[in-house]
Amino acid sequence: MTKKLLQGNQAIALAAVKAGLNFFAGYPITPASEILHELVNQKTVKVLQMEDEIASVNAIIGSSLAGAKSMTATSGPGFSLMQESIGHAHMMEVPLVIVNVQRVGPSTGMPTFPAQGDIMQCKYGSHGDYFPIVFYPNSVAELYEFTFHAFNAAEESLSPVILLSDSYVSHLYETIEEADYPVSNRTLAPLGTSNRHFTGLTHKDSRPVTSDPGVHKKLIKHLETKQKKVSRKYNNYEYIENKYSDILLITYGALSRAVYDLKEDFAIYRPVRIFPMVDKIKNIAKKYKEIVVMEMNAGQYVNEIERLLHREVNFIPILGGKIDLNEIWTKLRRIKKKR
Amino acid sequence: MTKELTYLNYLKQDRLPHQWCPGCGNGIVLKLACQAMEKLNFLKTGTVMVSGIGCSGRSAGFFDLDSVHTAHGRALPVAEGIKLANEKLNVMVISGDGDLFGIGGNHLLHASRRNTDITIICISNAIYGMTGGQCSPTTELSSRTLTTPRGNVDTPINVQALITAHNCFYARSTTYHLNHALKCITEALQHKGLSFVEIKSQCITNDGRRRGFKNSYEMLMSYKDTYKINNNSSVLEHDEIGIIK
Ligand SMILES: Cc1ncc(C[n+]2csc(CCOP(=O)(O)OP(=O)(O)O)c2C)c(N)n1
Ligand code: SF4
Ligand SMILES: [Mg+2]
Repeated sequence: MTKKLLQGNQAIALAAVKAGLNFFAGYPITPASEILHELVNQKTVKVLQMEDEIASVNAIIGSSLAGAKSMTATSGPGFSLMQESIGHAHMMEVPLVIVNVQRVGPSTGMPTFPAQGDIMQCKYGSHGDYFPIVFYPNSVAELYEFTFHAFNAAEESLSPVILLSDSYVSHLYETIEEADYPVSNRTLAPLGTSNRHFTGLTHKDSRPVTSDPGVHKKLIKHLETKQKKVSRKYNNYEYIENKYSDILLITYGALSRAVYDLKEDFAIYRPVRIFPMVDKIKNIAKKYKEIVVMEMNAGQYVNEIERLLHREVNFIPILGGKIDLNEIWTKLRRIKKKR
Repeated sequence: MTKELTYLNYLKQDRLPHQWCPGCGNGIVLKLACQAMEKLNFLKTGTVMVSGIGCSGRSAGFFDLDSVHTAHGRALPVAEGIKLANEKLNVMVISGDGDLFGIGGNHLLHASRRNTDITIICISNAIYGMTGGQCSPTTELSSRTLTTPRGNVDTPINVQALITAHNCFYARSTTYHLNHALKCITEALQHKGLSFVEIKSQCITNDGRRRGFKNSYEMLMSYKDTYKINNNSSVLEHDEIGIIK
């Protein structure tokens, strides 16, 4: 196995090629552009720079249906533009990988600073019911590994899989081992071989059915079951137990790297498959009197955690792209004191 | 099956009759597309049909081919993705004027700039049919629609200029001029690079009726009276139909 010094975004691009990427369409945006820059130099990948992110995601819907493993990469503003078509790809069951390297929002925000403001957008950004698989690694090595998993989960679930990153993790340089992870093959027959109709309308057997609630319920159930089944293969999380603490910190992505510094004093849980949520947290949480969710937004994953655990959870928001351990300590002391 | 009806081979006959209003132009364009494919001996495998959203956007689902019904306005980037991922496929788009020029207008600008080898047939009824008859980017000046009760004040989009500016194939015809329209589509399918066929078509229910037409026959006759075939000019006047390569 060769060791290589890679930037996070570069690792995503190189792993994507090894995972079978044939087609990439994207639109430049900080802090995701390096993925596009890296891929234009890859001989085995067709790369299109489109007129916007809506065109990009739709081009890869087309290319994927035509048989090519396909990916796009963007950041918050572009991810927002893609939302309608992400729902559409779930409805048509198109395997895609969508990389979202988060930056501070809303709007243009702070383009070069990291944030975790798109957690809810990943899960609920499009209209209607859908059940996305979302991975959020926290190192260059993990970005590399989870790019493979994202491609495999997309093929296995026939759905768009979101690979989340942030400008911190994506712009890190770390030495990683370029391992070869297993690669799932295409099962969906390419366009031009049959008479299927792919539609975003509620459908049954390639036909639109737009006034039968029963058909719609069945379709949504099918989408949900399929996503749950596939995601079971990827129960990825990290748990650092602490027998001397009764406080569990929940954190992920860039922020989790800083929070590692607190592992002498607290237990730490870090989900990597952030959606569907890994059930294991229910058992882990039982061992702790206080749960503290920390994330780089004004409160997103914390609500999902509360809902899953059915108990009150403390929350520490980190806003503005800067992670300050002193600030975190002050807030944690307050939580300790309140008990 | 008699010879004249063999075009039906390209349709999913168990999905007929289609759900469009009696007298709608969409069915005419569907038939013309099938006839053109038949003329050129297109194989059913190897050809992909793409539509956006609208009454005309339902077209793709009727073909006995692999087909994609995209989000509103997104037929072109999807079609380009398909073509560029597998250049051996014949990729056709059938969609509406609102879909292709309104919400999807930016994609048309860039697809024609890229000159991707796809054929686009626009069912140009100058109205948003499906949503009840609102003004569209091709609605004529001073025309009355649901959203222009005192007449449209905006100039309709010059599709010919947009497409020919990038040296792509442009043809205009109508649902009245059947032989001419068939020729336009057939030539477009043979063209290497992006080809665009704009077929003026009637929406009686949500357009014609509001403008005083009694039935779609009257609308077809207005095409007969308005449009003259121009076979040898590099620019079509607004009341001319023809092919610009
Ligand atoms: C994003 C989005 N906005 C609006 C709509 C509603 N809508 C459906 S069809 C349509 C207009 C279609 O007009 P056109 O393309 O001319 O098709 P026609 O019905 O006239 O054939 C609109 C606005 C939609 N489906 N999606
Ligand atoms: S509303 Fe107009 S465009 Fe739609 S099916 Fe009826 S006649 Fe055709
Ligand atoms: Mg229309």
